[in-house]
Amino acid sequence: MATLARVFHKHEAAGPGGIPARQAGAPLDACALRALPQEDVFFYCKKIDNSRLVREPDPKAGGTCWSVIGAACLAALLLTAVGTVKVSTTMSGYKLEDLRAEERRLQDEQRALDLQEAELLSPERLEKLAKEQNLVTPSAGKVFRLDNNRPDGTVAMVK
Amino acid sequence: MVERRLKWLAWIVVAWGASIFLKLVSLQVIHHREYVNLARARQELVVEISGPRGTLFDRNGQVLAMSAPTESVYINPLKVPDLGLAAQILSAELQLDRAELFATMQAAKDNHRGFLWIKHRISYDESQHLKSLNLDWISLQHESQRHYPNGTLAAHLLGGVDFEEKGNGGIERALEADLKGVPGKMRLLTDVKRRGIDSRLASEPRAGQPVTLTIDAHLQFVAERELAAAVESHNAVSGSLVVMNPNTGDILALASYPTYDPNRPPQSSDIKNRENHAVSVPFEPGSVFKVITLSAGLETTKLRPDSPIDCHGGVLKLPGRVIHDSHGGTGVVPMETAFAKSSNIGAIMVGMRVGQENMYDYMRRFGFGRKTGITLPGESAGRVRKLSIWGTTSLASVSMGQEVSVTTVQLAQAGSVVANGGLLVRPRIVLKKGSQVQQPSAPVRVIKADTAITMRQMMEGVVLHGTGTGARLAGYTVGGKTGSAQIYDYAAHHYTHSYNGSFLGFAPITNPAIVVVVTINGTHGTAGFGGAVAAPVFKVVAGEALRVLDVPKDLPDDGLQVASVVPDVSDLADADLTAQGNILVDGDEEAPQAANASATQPVGPVAPAVPAPPDTRPRVPNFSGMTMRAVLAEAAAKGIAVVPAGSGIARMQSPPAGAVLHEGERIRVQFSR
Repeated sequence: MATLARVFHKHEAAGPGGIPARQAGAPLDACALRALPQEDVFFYCKKIDNSRLVREPDPKAGGTCWSVIGAACLAALLLTAVGTVKVSTTMSGYKLEDLRAEERRLQDEQRALDLQEAELLSPERLEKLAKEQNLVTPSAGKVFRLDNNRPDGTVAMVK
Repeated sequence: MVERRLKWLAWIVVAWGASIFLKLVSLQVIHHREYVNLARARQELVVEISGPRGTLFDRNGQVLAMSAPTESVYINPLKVPDLGLAAQILSAELQLDRAELFATMQAAKDNHRGFLWIKHRISYDESQHLKSLNLDWISLQHESQRHYPNGTLAAHLLGGVDFEEKGNGGIERALEADLKGVPGKMRLLTDVKRRGIDSRLASEPRAGQPVTLTIDAHLQFVAERELAAAVESHNAVSGSLVVMNPNTGDILALASYPTYDPNRPPQSSDIKNRENHAVSVPFEPGSVFKVITLSAGLETTKLRPDSPIDCHGGVLKLPGRVIHDSHGGTGVVPMETAFAKSSNIGAIMVGMRVGQENMYDYMRRFGFGRKTGITLPGESAGRVRKLSIWGTTSLASVSMGQEVSVTTVQLAQAGSVVANGGLLVRPRIVLKKGSQVQQPSAPVRVIKADTAITMRQMMEGVVLHGTGTGARLAGYTVGGKTGSAQIYDYAAHHYTHSYNGSFLGFAPITNPAIVVVVTINGTHGTAGFGGAVAAPVFKVVAGEALRVLDVPKDLPDDGLQVASVVPDVSDLADADLTAQGNILVDGDEEAPQAANASATQPVGPVAPAVPAPPDTRPRVPNFSGMTMRAVLAEAAAKGIAVVPAGSGIARMQSPPAGAVLHEGERIRVQFSR
């Protein structure tokens, strides 16, 4: 595997101009790596054996985890609640505007129907219908109303 | 070196952050308003909320005029994919000429016009068809359209509106400020699909105020029908009719003929039809004006209904003119007979006793020469010449209803004075504005109450045995006066053989509920006199009005006596057709010189009344203080018809004791305990 050690070792073997970088007789430092060319930075590697290192059980870690999870859930719930309110407001807004548009449409329709009713009740039309039905206008004093309290004057009898 | 690099790196990061921050400041602070407006323009729709024009109702709540929403079609010719297809679709849906529409659309596209109206105010069905096509290049704009659902009914009263729904006549124009609606605006927040999420009112709409008129739609219809029939059957030019409540001034019907349909926009051909003859067109009233002459006579002189009046055998010579009675004339007759027979000379005799100043005063008191104040535009005040420019024979002319011009509504107002006991009540058209009831104007005393009662009795005589027998009603006592005024030709300076036939009447006599004035303009011959042409119209309209108003009868139904001979309806005012320049036109005080020197003298006081021959006519007995049994027994013995009212002892009677009892006349006796 191409590692820095191997690379530096190769270069160390070669040396500048083929001259080995390390002079014969110099003590071998197992951790010292070959210096970078024209650099004063020396890299050392150190082998650390952590096999005897055992992680101590942390009684609070579990709680912290659950706390984080709980907090995250709570945050999610809050965001959902806020989002739901907003979405619900928007949906209600849609419904409200639809209802308002429907109200305006119904008001316009009512006016159109009022107009149609007025056309149907025009005296000329009623006169024409009366003639077709062979109806005659009663003379004065010949009409008797049963219930005088009704504003539309219910007619019960023509003498 | 490292530190330098780190510093450079740090500065680059800082610069990057600063640029982001500056951009944020630029977007959210400096250009905030611009982007908010941009967002609003994209997200918000401005929706117009209609402020409909106020509805007009009759007194019973029937709709006479109302505005209904409608839509107008427009397109953007530049965005239409196929003009030919578009023209085909639109012409089929909207009943338009395809070739013409295509040419218009093509021309608009060639001129790079992005907006083109196709059709204004389409029907509801057409609108629904277009919407169902779901074509995005067809756009609809909401508008409002005024409708008159009863067609020509009350056209002159209602008037009409122009294309902007602004009143251009009648009540629509007179009450424009109250009827006009103001549309509002609403800002609608929309999503990407243009569906509304939220809305905010930008300006409040204001609907026009509904107005309730005093007229009764059914009565109005009957009045217009009868008036049209009378004008057409007599080949007259025009006519007008007013039905009025004499106590409140409410106009129950106001008809003018010819008429028009306010649903159609004004055309040049129907300008004349839009004239309101009842309010805006004055005319010489003729014999109808004798009501004012005799009222003034009763008030200012010692004349009574049975005072003898010398009618000079039907011929009276005045300076520069000769007055004739159209029915051959009579000698000395009671004033009530001269009135019933509509003697011009009799009226002149009364007028001369009254005098110029009093005559002028009473003409003004009765409301002539000034507007009634009715809520209609273009009202004419008529014409009453100033006293200072009255000519030598002006008093004579005015006494018989000439040299004065009046409107039909003024005659109704004057008739109401007699009908309601002597009070001048202003005619009114508007009953309510919104829910606020309009109060009638305060009445003004014009004549005394007993003068009014006496006039009512004399006017009943006109209908019973005078020129107005055509106005008799079954079951009701009726009083009235006919008029047949010759129409003056100002170009030729003489009177023509065309007449204004009128009838002014009220019913019932005891407590008049309605006053009806009918005028038919431009009639011809004796069949065009007021008694022949206007009185029958009064009969039908008044009969219907009394039925609709549920006025109790004051006569049995079989009390209507048919005259055994053809009634004499001739009441022509001034039969002097051959003289030239015998009527003084405004400002023209020239009077043709008569050969007789005495004719140049101003008319002096009337000569003392000629002693009347012994009067052997039956008289009304005195029932005062008698019980009902005794009254009925005496009446039966004498063959007199009595109409009793109340119970107990006889307290009042009409006609009064000692008055001349005419054939067929009934005596009303009031009993009380």
